[in-house]
Amino acid sequence: MQLHTALGGMLTLMAVASAALAQTLPQTPGPKNAITDVPGIEVGHYTASSGSGGMTGTTAVIARGGATAGVTQRGGAPGTRETDLLRSEKAIGTAHAVVLSGGSAYGLAAADGVMTCLESQGVGMPVANGAIVPIVPSAILFDPGRCAPFNFRPDASFGTNACRAATNGPVQMGNVGAGAGARSGGVKGGVGTASAVLSNGVVVGAIVAVNSAGRTFDAVTGQFFAGYTLGNSDAAVATALAAPEAQRDELLRATTIAVVATNVRLTKAQANKLAQMADDGLARAIRPAHGIGDGDTVFALATGTMTETPNITQIGAAAADALSRAIIRAIVAADGIHVSACNVDSYCDLFPQRCRH
Amino acid sequence: MKPSRLCAVVLPLLAVTTGSAWAQAPGQHNAITDVPGISVGHFTGGDAGTTVVLAVGPTGQGVAGGVTQRGGSPGTRETDLMRPDNLVEIMNAIVLSGGSAYGLAAASGVMRCLEDRGVGFPVGGGNVVPIVPTAVSFDRATCGGPAASRPDFAAGLQACLAATGGAVEQGNVGAGSGGVSGGVKGGVGTASVVLPNGIIVGALVSVNSEGAAYDGDGDLYAAPLELGNEFRALTKAGGHRHRIPPNLAGGPLRSGTNAVVATNVQLTKSQATKIAEMADDGVSRAISPAHTAGDGDTLFVLGTARLAMATLGDESAVVTQIGTAAANAVSRAIVHALLSAKSTSCQPSYCEAFPSACRNRR
Repeated sequence: MQLHTALGGMLTLMAVASAALAQTLPQTPGPKNAITDVPGIEVGHYTASSGSGGMTGTTAVIARGGATAGVTQRGGAPGTRETDLLRSEKAIGTAHAVVLSGGSAYGLAAADGVMTCLESQGVGMPVANGAIVPIVPSAILFDPGRCAPFNFRPDASFGTNACRAATNGPVQMGNVGAGAGARSGGVKGGVGTASAVLSNGVVVGAIVAVNSAGRTFDAVTGQFFAGYTLGNSDAAVATALAAPEAQRDELLRATTIAVVATNVRLTKAQANKLAQMADDGLARAIRPAHGIGDGDTVFALATGTMTETPNITQIGAAAADALSRAIIRAIVAADGIHVSACNVDSYCDLFPQRCRH
Repeated sequence: MKPSRLCAVVLPLLAVTTGSAWAQAPGQHNAITDVPGISVGHFTGGDAGTTVVLAVGPTGQGVAGGVTQRGGSPGTRETDLMRPDNLVEIMNAIVLSGGSAYGLAAASGVMRCLEDRGVGFPVGGGNVVPIVPTAVSFDRATCGGPAASRPDFAAGLQACLAATGGAVEQGNVGAGSGGVSGGVKGGVGTASVVLPNGIIVGALVSVNSEGAAYDGDGDLYAAPLELGNEFRALTKAGGHRHRIPPNLAGGPLRSGTNAVVATNVQLTKSQATKIAEMADDGVSRAISPAHTAGDGDTLFVLGTARLAMATLGDESAVVTQIGTAAANAVSRAIVHALLSAKSTSCQPSYCEAFPSACRNRR
């Protein structure tokens, strides 16, 4: 009897504790509603147009002061650099930038340009003889050959230019940087960003280049799968339009790549956990996600300006929602491309009622 | 069971085991290029460089591969796609490079070289994306100054254009140009073995290790694995040593022994990954300590598919056989690297540091 009472009390306590843990804190978007709301994070895009409707580019997310970093890589066709060193048991815990690029595996060259740019600015890990090595993990997406020659692709100079353009100001979305040539489930993809400021002062931000085989919205109504994360700002407006199916090449060769960041001080293992939870935001916003032809990779950066003991579950939940919102904002911000034979509708071309503002 | 009967049972087993070991011999060049479909090119630029291992399958496409990454300070490209659960099953080249993380740029030059030849993963419209996993190491043989150059796009392109079959240059070349190993000069080494059933296994390493490849007496740990007279009358060091500088400070990104193993057997990605794990034991046996926090140690495996797995017998037994041979080939390649390396102005070679061990070498 007594044992039962004690057990019951314990269970109640545990229920209360887990409810408190799981509860997401009240939150509002930061002033820029961008990953640059996280102190210590800068973003730079470099975008190139082929003139024939083709676009590609590079987005550099820079943590000049260094950030504890993690990654999760769940898509089946990745193109990556420096993800091994991000594993929790490896010695290097700090990254100075994450580079997202178009160009398939060729686009990994953009990280070279970001490395030399940061080196020239004295940003990197000190090694022997006063030399530094910037730690610059990178992931790419597949956009070559879309309305442009196959060799229209980012190289090292794209990284240099994206790095030089980096600021902590507002972040341009849509057909820019790594998302310039992106497509998503039959419509134009692109770059999106979002942020959340939690009531305890934690700031979480996300930036994403959406280039997915899966779709982000209901094909008939246009309602975003993860629209609930936007709050009341996205009132449902039903339409009878059906969205086009993704092309076969998009199904086979896609990739959504993202960075989430927070101002909280995390260990490397916690940063890896944060990346894993944030990846759920990708799963909720894109269906299907993490397919065999997707290279889906999500990085996490913790700049550590806030040193309170982190509640990783709250931060992870906020990061997942921020990533979902960034994905929706990418799709809404993307412009259709209509240049001679090159025609890709945007989401807003298909569902103008939802994009009036 | 009486002891005598136990012996009677055990001895024939031992005889079978050692007998099969004796039946092994190095291939024609005692190099990874003894594996059909494998060619090697070096680019040496002062105290840093790049080595590329090109792999071509029987019908001209790439080959299945696997990787293990156990050092604590890796610098890598495209290792995620090598995981067996990921899509791409053909690797076109492996790049080993100096230059620390900057040296990852060399892979882009190799990609250009291969794209120009139409070699890569087909992505429609006749276009290809060459699959070029890469690992780098930190050049420490710079005698206190900064590296005169670091491998870049052009270094990868040149290494790829230089790739050939046949004998492979060892020592202060390619990715091993800036290597240091336990206070003596590191470098590139290679070795191969031909098994009685026709399996060929080759290894190429770039030795740049925080740990040493020799014991307290100066004897190379892996010297007893010699096949034939491949180490050319290497003898005991007897503890006699000359001017070995203290090993350079370790720490994140400071070193890294990277390796490529190739076999002529057709492998799945999972089998290649398992063989990589076993082959990595060859690093453990030849260098102590290995896989430290400051080492980037990464090992790749390629199967060039000239022999169908089904013709060789039980798959698990064959994988074990290849993995065992690969580990030994990696260890032997590390010995070759140390014996081939030449002294620099600040780093003695192994043979300069332990002249007794090398006194009979021709």
